Amino acid sequence: MAIPTLDTFQVIGDPSRRKMLMLLSEDSLTINSLAENFDMSRPAVSKHIKILYSAGFISIQDIGRERYCTLKQDGFKELQEWISYFDKFWISKLKKLETLLNNKLSK
Amino acid sequence: MTKSINHQLFFPHPPQTVWEYLTKPELMEQWLMKNDFQPIVGLDFQFRTNPYPSLDFDGIVYCKVLEIIPFKKLSYSWKCGPGDGKITIDSVVVWTLQPKDKGTDLFLEHSGFSEIENFTMYNALTDGWLKNLHKIAELINAAKHGNTNA
Repeated sequence: MAIPTLDTFQVIGDPSRRKMLMLLSEDSLTINSLAENFDMSRPAVSKHIKILYSAGFISIQDIGRERYCTLKQDGFKELQEWISYFDKFWISKLKKLETLLNNKLSK
Repeated sequence: MTKSINHQLFFPHPPQTVWEYLTKPELMEQWLMKNDFQPIVGLDFQFRTNPYPSLDFDGIVYCKVLEIIPFKKLSYSWKCGPGDGKITIDSVVVWTLQPKDKGTDLFLEHSGFSEIENFTMYNALTDGWLKNLHKIAELINAAKHGNTNA
């Protein structure tokens, strides 16, 4: 199955993938046990897992005969970059607002 | 790990004055960004700033007025992306004003980044990493010792 290239927000925009990340936030899981939580075909589950994997949200490790999925931090970095951009953005804007209002007072 | 942006500022002005700077387009432009805001619930409006290419941000913020309680609360949606109306950030900005003895406390909350903040994964990412790594180690050890029940 072809895996589309998705950006961070498209990756986590899908409810099933968000549920997968949520389940994995509690514990590392095999692909089989992850699939048990979803009412979808095995290939569909695999596709979601591949998308999460290529976007850096999870890592996959072969242990024994099983494939284990574990959360990975890389995928979350872009989201953090946005948040930190906006944080700095607001700090500088609020500073401006403060200056404006203070000038108003001294007039 | 940060889930939302929160700031608080005190102004030695009554809420009415601060409110004007939050809701009058020409005053908003002086400290925030160019905009076509109007204080009407449900109104679509835009902010425009410089593009920020490394974040795939074209400089246009698409907003909708969500709530207005004059002199007390204002909120709007805050969506942006790389261009052509494509949205990658879908968030909400809430302004709250509280009258004080000699002025106004202004609170800003910018949150709702892709619903992701509601997840326990934030905790997992901050304090759960070690636990997960330990688990992997345990599993690898178990596998080494021929335990295939894992």
